[in-house]
Amino acid sequence: MPLVPHITACCTVTLAALSGGLAYAGDWVSYRDAYRAMVVFEKYGGPKNFLQSQLQVAPQDHGASLEGVQLTLAGKTNQVNLPLDPLGRTPFPLLKGAYDENVALLLSRKIGSFAVRPRVSIALQADGVYEDGELRAGCEQALGFARYGDGSLRTRQCGGVRFVFAKRVGEVGVRLHRPDGTDAALAVVASVAFPGDADDNFPTVQYRFSGNERVQLVTAYPPLAIVPLFD
Amino acid sequence: MTKLFALTLAAASCAASAQTPASNPMPDGSRDMYVGLGVVSKPRYEGAADRERAALPVLQVQLSNGLFVSGMRAGIHLGGSPQVEFGPLLEVQPRRDAEGEGAEVGDLNAVRFSIVALPPAAFSDNRLAGMPAIHSRVQGGGFLNYYLTPAWRLTSSLLYGAGNARNGTKLELGVQRLALEFGVQHRVALDAGVTLADRRYNMAFFGVGEEDSYNSGNAVFEAGGGLKDAHLGARWNWAWSPSWMLTSTVQATRLLGSARLSPLVERPTNLTVSTAIAYRF
Repeated sequence: MPLVPHITACCTVTLAALSGGLAYAGDWVSYRDAYRAMVVFEKYGGPKNFLQSQLQVAPQDHGASLEGVQLTLAGKTNQVNLPLDPLGRTPFPLLKGAYDENVALLLSRKIGSFAVRPRVSIALQADGVYEDGELRAGCEQALGFARYGDGSLRTRQCGGVRFVFAKRVGEVGVRLHRPDGTDAALAVVASVAFPGDADDNFPTVQYRFSGNERVQLVTAYPPLAIVPLFD
Repeated sequence: MTKLFALTLAAASCAASAQTPASNPMPDGSRDMYVGLGVVSKPRYEGAADRERAALPVLQVQLSNGLFVSGMRAGIHLGGSPQVEFGPLLEVQPRRDAEGEGAEVGDLNAVRFSIVALPPAAFSDNRLAGMPAIHSRVQGGGFLNYYLTPAWRLTSSLLYGAGNARNGTKLELGVQRLALEFGVQHRVALDAGVTLADRRYNMAFFGVGEEDSYNSGNAVFEAGGGLKDAHLGARWNWAWSPSWMLTSTVQATRLLGSARLSPLVERPTNLTVSTAIAYRF
């Protein structure tokens, strides 16, 4: 098996191509590939009024910071800056022109090894008040969408939601208001925002669905995300 | 959650594990195309002991209406679900002949008539010498793929029309692990599968009739239907930019059943390796 000449040829064409300037110097993501991933939510015909879909740039190094990082879509017909939130997410514009141009989404600085994923979470309320029923409906919608793309989730059930907060001291908290007027603060724990994320040090509050209580959850500070939990 | 970056760029080679590309949602009126060129090292024919290196054109076209061309295959994605892909499929079966042995066979023909009684291929190590050429054919059928998860896909295709009699049928069944990511720019897909063929298909490619036996020197062989081969493969795509990438494959194939016992088969297990630079637009 003459593998050596083959490998040599492979390396030669690779190096020739790279030296010819075919590759980007910085980190980038193919807009077309990102579009393919993100348009699935757009085309999904099931209920999704409680949901939002964003593109996430997820560093794979635990300590990598995303502060000030943005994606730049630099096409001939579209110039868009997409700042990343502390979870690495940004709303993704579905632009036919950028797809047809096959442009790159350029990261404004290097963040080490990273992955790019679509992330669906429950939309935030401006007043910071969330009915238990709304959170359940949001979680069910998220599970319905997840099952649409992944049949292996058929047996999973909605178990609760996770409120994810920014790493700012004192700006974390979720209070539980029951119909009888009692009020309790839910525990804050350090955790990942989304399954598979590397950073497990975000302040989070987990709320598990139990019974049919007509309770309200009140956030004193806006969370970064409300993530549905599937059991 | 979705088939993020589950690209399976197919090469225009006759690799046994040619796959249909994953369905590709895109804006109406848009396309996703790759063209490229590389090299392939492969057995001279299925079951050959000797290898050859050849230029490898790469082609993959996907249109927003579901139409695709992927290497030697073309079809239409009809399914609307992310979990199931199905549709009609066409595949070009490449020509198989003695490949470069023609002139030598011609010379041997002259010798045969002077010596008398020796078959045309008596002085050739090429087991295809003296065997009839199998002309290139377009086979028709369909494909059905099912995603167990966004990363695992069961694949199948049924194609009819192979061989000079245009009546050979093959069924390919496989499983694919899509889009193992090693950083954003490196993706590896793995696949394993088997091919089943009916008797007419195997007779066309592995059988030796009495006249063929006389002309080639191979023993008469009645091929039967059943399991034809099993294969394992890997594809590595290295994206340099949104437009340029290096796509490389390695595939091991082992002929099985009646095909493996054919006198045309010198080596039942073989390896195909390819690499190509592709431009996406």
